[in-house]
Amino acid sequence: MGSVTIQNLVKRYGGLEVLHGIDLTVEDGKFVVLLGPSGCGKSTLLRMIAGLETVSSGDIAIGEQRVNDMHPKDRNIAMVFQNYALYAHMSVRENMAFSMRLKKTAQAEVDERVNWAASILSLEPYLDRFPKELSGGQRQRVAMGRAIVRNPDVFLFDEPLSNLDAKLRVQMRKEIKELHQRLKTTTVYVTHDQIEAMTMADQVVIMRDGVIEQIGTPLDIYDNPDNLFVAQFIGSPGMNLLSGEIVQGAGGKMFQTGDVTCELPQNSAAMVGQKVLYGIRPEHLQASMQGSGLSATVTVVEPTGPEIHLYATLAGHEICAIAHQRLDWKPDDELKLNPMVDRVHLFDAETKVAIPAG
Amino acid sequence: MHDSTLKLTLRYLVSILIVGIFVFPIAWWGLTSVKPISAVFDKDRIVVFDFEPTLENYRVTVLGYSKRGSKEDGKTLMGTSGNNSYDGRSSIVSSVIVAVGSTLITTIFALLASYGLSRMRFWGSQGYLNWILSQRFLPPVAIIVPLVFIFHDMGLRDTHAGLIIAHTLINIPIAVLLLKSFMDDIPIDIDQAAMIDGATRFQCFWMVILPMVKGGLAATAVLCFVFSWTEFLLSLFLTSSIRTIPVKITTYVTSTGSEWGYISALGTSAILPSFIFILLVQRHLVRGLTMGAIKD
Ligand SMILES: Nc1ncnc2c1ncn2[C@@H]1O[C@H](COP(=O)(O)OP(=O)(O)OP(=O)(O)O)[C@@H](O)[C@H]1O
Ligand SMILES: [Mg+2]
Repeated sequence: MGSVTIQNLVKRYGGLEVLHGIDLTVEDGKFVVLLGPSGCGKSTLLRMIAGLETVSSGDIAIGEQRVNDMHPKDRNIAMVFQNYALYAHMSVRENMAFSMRLKKTAQAEVDERVNWAASILSLEPYLDRFPKELSGGQRQRVAMGRAIVRNPDVFLFDEPLSNLDAKLRVQMRKEIKELHQRLKTTTVYVTHDQIEAMTMADQVVIMRDGVIEQIGTPLDIYDNPDNLFVAQFIGSPGMNLLSGEIVQGAGGKMFQTGDVTCELPQNSAAMVGQKVLYGIRPEHLQASMQGSGLSATVTVVEPTGPEIHLYATLAGHEICAIAHQRLDWKPDDELKLNPMVDRVHLFDAETKVAIPAG
Repeated sequence: MHDSTLKLTLRYLVSILIVGIFVFPIAWWGLTSVKPISAVFDKDRIVVFDFEPTLENYRVTVLGYSKRGSKEDGKTLMGTSGNNSYDGRSSIVSSVIVAVGSTLITTIFALLASYGLSRMRFWGSQGYLNWILSQRFLPPVAIIVPLVFIFHDMGLRDTHAGLIIAHTLINIPIAVLLLKSFMDDIPIDIDQAAMIDGATRFQCFWMVILPMVKGGLAATAVLCFVFSWTEFLLSLFLTSSIRTIPVKITTYVTSTGSEWGYISALGTSAILPSFIFILLVQRHLVRGLTMGAIKD
């Protein structure tokens, strides 16, 4: 079985602690993405699962087996490295067959597995080429082929798609997802690209500075961020955040910053007088040219094709809204903004933790 | 864009000139070796091609025939019947044994050492390399006297094994340094990929790293071979009956004069084994064996 269980895992390099007690369970067959800014310890965690870094304290188990002190070769895992790490002196076929050659697998079976992997990854025409004769995307597929021929318990990917061009990245993203749907092998995938995380993951693990900030399905994390960091990290353009406080208004509790007041969800747990950050995603700010709403002034207009990103100033705050109608916005135009009340996020200004909407 | 004919001609001229500068001394040396002594020492003119070529010098030095009385100077080698002191055959054999032996041992040691230094972190691994290298900082002549005594006491003086050990010791620091830099060029991810694929440390070294570092290994072997082949000082002091070619050649400078014919003949012949060795390894002397291993 290919579940991965991590308990209170700590990693120290000398005196420097880079992972501070990670708890994570990856269920068998799931696709889990580790997402976080550069240097947060994603690769370190992945490499500890692989056995390439020693465990300072805590436990890692694959299936039922504790693997803390097990050599990488005995863990039955496969890993795709950020830089592919192909064997340059071997042909594509030999690269893929290497692990089976070490296990002294019968030649007929080796051929069968290699051909199977090559057909899945459309590598058949390149089996006798050497890595230097392949394009970046093809090399990437060889690295994947080397992993899947083995039928491992767990796949580990360390940013396999970074450095590919945008189009290829989208294509490979889909291929990896398809592959997972087909093979159903437990996968831990590291990336700092949130689109990759959102599109591929069954579960996203958001990390920062060696701790896990939130674990959840992609949409859950997007819709219900536990704290300010997650809210800011996910989404592009990012969530708008206004700092202010809760006041008692006519229709209930309101958020106030400067002379702007905004409605809050009915049952918000925020308390009157509490200093908070008011968060609203750009697509939840309905923009119109006239009518009621908060008045803002357009500063920059960015048409992306499917939508238009409007940057504006609202009571001295820089704010972004996404409009879907092709209205002729121009800088310095007057803009009316209507936040969708049930999509408002509140964070305590001090603890940065989300305040439940009720 | 096509280069103009002038540019091309100039380019060829310069290349020919440079090649000429390097080839001329060797060619002249080779020429000298087939000249009769009268053509070597003509005080009126420089003899280039108008002489009667002779293989006499090679007959004596490389094939070991005894020296014939030569007509020009009327001198003959006296008395030492059959025992030709100009016979260079045994010195060629000695040189080959020592150079091949020390090259083999050096590269094996250096290969293992450089893999360890490149891949494994242990206490002092940084300083270690400098320490190894410091062995080369002092001129061998400074330690030659104690070395002779030590070799004598160990029974290594005047043996092939002794000379092989001496050359190996001198070569190892450079060889390790060179090979380590080749190994450092291979990303450690390759080792780790191999281990995840199920390779032991040794399999990883043998099946993955070694093939990728072949070019470096060939370069190192050439350097070691050439060093050992031409090394003079240690050979001179550590041997007496075994003579490598460089030492042997000095014995041709005698109290009765320098035998330029023999010197040039043995010298020219000495180029050949090195040349063959380099031809053998040079097809491995290619860069870019790790190309394609990682995304660029
Ligand atoms: N060998 C090491 N010695 C000391 N510190 C290290 C070592 N390797 C990594 N670190 C530190 O551990 C932290 C986590 O590194 P890690 O490589 O896991 O980051 P990452 O999340 O993968 O980042 P990226 O997205 O840039 O790849 C970093 O702050 C890094 O400086
Ligand atoms: Mg990383």
